[in-house]
Amino acid sequence: MTTPPASTPATPTRAGRRPSPQLAQIKRTVYFLSRNTLAIVGLAIILFFLVVAVWGFFYPAPSDKLAGYCGTTTSGGQGNPACSLYPKTTVCTYPSGSAPPGPNCYPVESLNPSQIAPTVDLARHTLGPLPFGSLSIDSSNPYFYNPFDGIVKGAEWSLGISAGIVGTGALIGLMLGAIAGYFGGYTDEIVMRFTDIFLSIPGLLLILVILAVIGSTISTLEGRIVVLMGAFIITWWPLYTRIVRGQVLVTREQKYVEASKASGARSGRIILRHIIPNSMYPVFVQMSLDVGSIPLALGGIVFLGFNIFPTLYFPEWGTLAALSVITLPAQLTLCSGGPCVFPWWQVLFPGLVLFLFAISVNFLSDGLRDALDPRLRR
Amino acid sequence: MKMWIYLVRRLILLVPVIIGVMTITFVITASLPVHDQLVSHFGTGRIPLTPTVDCSTLGLGNGTCRNPVYYHDLHQLGLDKPKYVQWAIYMENSLTLNWGASDAGSKASGLLLGASSIPIAEVLSWYLPYTLELAALSLFLILVLAIPLGNYSAVYRNRPVDQAARLMSFSGFALPGFLLASLLLLGFTALLSALPLECGNTYFAFQHLYNSWPPTSCGTYSWMGSHGQTSPTGFPTVDAIYHGQYALAGDTLVRLILPAVTIAYGSIAIILRFVRNSMLEVMNLDFVRTARAKGVPESAVVRKHAGRNSLNVTVTILGLTFAGFIGGFPIIEDVFHLNGVGLLLTYSIQPQFDFGLIFGSVLLFTIIVVAANIIVDVLYAYLDPRVRLG
Repeated sequence: MTTPPASTPATPTRAGRRPSPQLAQIKRTVYFLSRNTLAIVGLAIILFFLVVAVWGFFYPAPSDKLAGYCGTTTSGGQGNPACSLYPKTTVCTYPSGSAPPGPNCYPVESLNPSQIAPTVDLARHTLGPLPFGSLSIDSSNPYFYNPFDGIVKGAEWSLGISAGIVGTGALIGLMLGAIAGYFGGYTDEIVMRFTDIFLSIPGLLLILVILAVIGSTISTLEGRIVVLMGAFIITWWPLYTRIVRGQVLVTREQKYVEASKASGARSGRIILRHIIPNSMYPVFVQMSLDVGSIPLALGGIVFLGFNIFPTLYFPEWGTLAALSVITLPAQLTLCSGGPCVFPWWQVLFPGLVLFLFAISVNFLSDGLRDALDPRLRR
Repeated sequence: MKMWIYLVRRLILLVPVIIGVMTITFVITASLPVHDQLVSHFGTGRIPLTPTVDCSTLGLGNGTCRNPVYYHDLHQLGLDKPKYVQWAIYMENSLTLNWGASDAGSKASGLLLGASSIPIAEVLSWYLPYTLELAALSLFLILVLAIPLGNYSAVYRNRPVDQAARLMSFSGFALPGFLLASLLLLGFTALLSALPLECGNTYFAFQHLYNSWPPTSCGTYSWMGSHGQTSPTGFPTVDAIYHGQYALAGDTLVRLILPAVTIAYGSIAIILRFVRNSMLEVMNLDFVRTARAKGVPESAVVRKHAGRNSLNVTVTILGLTFAGFIGGFPIIEDVFHLNGVGLLLTYSIQPQFDFGLIFGSVLLFTIIVVAANIIVDVLYAYLDPRVRLG
């Protein structure tokens, strides 16, 4: 095994000055990470998706099936020029049996695969051509839409929502965990019992309850996304608090903390300068893992029939994947007689994007864990 | 510390956790507008539930009148009392299992065949056994796959076997459950639709991949209730065997296989990682080296010396996984239309909110998770005498 470059810095520093330990730690991590093939593959895929997200920001949407994501509010659309070209339609669902509340509304049950027994004759269906770019198979079909546009436009939403949730959750966990672990005693007891309360509620259930109770009263896109992120953050922060506290219990016994205390530093300074920077590494591992699972969880929630977003075809990866599966039985039964096109691309591409993103953050997380834990290095 | 002192201490610490959980659910409910709370309980069938109402709806001529129905309902639900009194009433009813009856507004009442006002605790007791069977089967699959695979991948660390096992487990985590479940259902339906099996001939018809119970056209059973609940134990497979209906028991198991495979594939990644890491740790310990040095065959070292000692951590994570499983699998149960608690919960949230059902189950699952934590801790100390409780 070769020695890491951190012990002998590549760039010569000025005489009498050592590189900062934080920098050395980062260099060491990067070195061990670069030796892990899977982690590099994961990092490459994540970077690719980031590029897609930047591209999607400038990407005009050609398909009117995606007009929905311009939002129901006048401020929706996020400055997308395509939004001014299309009327703002509200695609909604309603319980079957009652009167449709609007022109673009579909009964809940007709979109719910659990209500339709899958009696599909696949022999009647053929695989159509790959419909990148322009998709004009059957414009009267309410279910067809272009997954490519959705994926490109959805990158910014998916990555943004995931990063926002994980970042806020980790920040709360870092603060509370550092305070609980550093002060100990009653502070620790109170914070950790409070954390236990949140940890013992089943996560998905809590998210669903919050979305159902609070989300139903809000109709704007921005408001819904805030509620959604809040619901996820409430479920996510206790895990970080527990991880950080465990790490802080180790960190606070270190000599440099003692030295800082002996030289008269205040608790706030010790926590911010010494405790938090040295307890962050396990948080990075958990964060990279969680970023991938949030679009999956979102997809699951949409799949259960929760209209998180006020528009049906909202370009978010989990939503796209869920809707493609939800509408599949309806699409297959819509076609009567003759050979029909099996819309495989609608299922494949959003699903593939979700899968690739989640698995690449898993690779990265596993690589980070190996790089940061000296016992697992090889 | 003695075991019973530890247990008592943990059980006392359970009280603030349960009070906290119930307070959170209370805060969520109380944040809902009063009108929505009234509608969710009484429905919208009568006159509008607002404080004032157009006098013509009451038959009192023109103008706006004070709505007597609104205030009557408000008083009946106790919503006119101060918040802390509401909280106390809520806590008292929650802790005495007085969770109310299922409402008519949610889709859950459709699942319950239109029968309303069934006590919540009873409804949950009908649906929980099915989820328990599904969870047990999934856990069995995970055990059979994850423990040998984890040991194998630790022994052949960084070899192709290890990489393949990790890739498989990662892909299970990354594949959306609803996608895998739907594709499995679609694929097997297409595959089995060629078979000319119908209800009368045999139970193993392709429709039986879907839905949790045989359709009523397949006959009714005296020991099966109108909502699918069975007697005497409540577990469908066990009850079918008890009554000598072996074909029916096989049928219930067949229906569980695809969902269980989906669940096991999705959650195998975490277990595999724990088994592998704890095995790697144990493999470096002195007694393993001693065993090798004195000439014990490698297979026996892996199986007996390292394997058994790495099980402690695995038992912990398996216990917690099972506790998480009991909360139901809303998505999987939705795809396969299985009558488990997960499906019941999703149905009780939309399109309207069934307060009693949802909060009763939150309390129930919280108790299950916390109890599982305690059991796992005690079991851990039992398996590894070095661990001291306290």
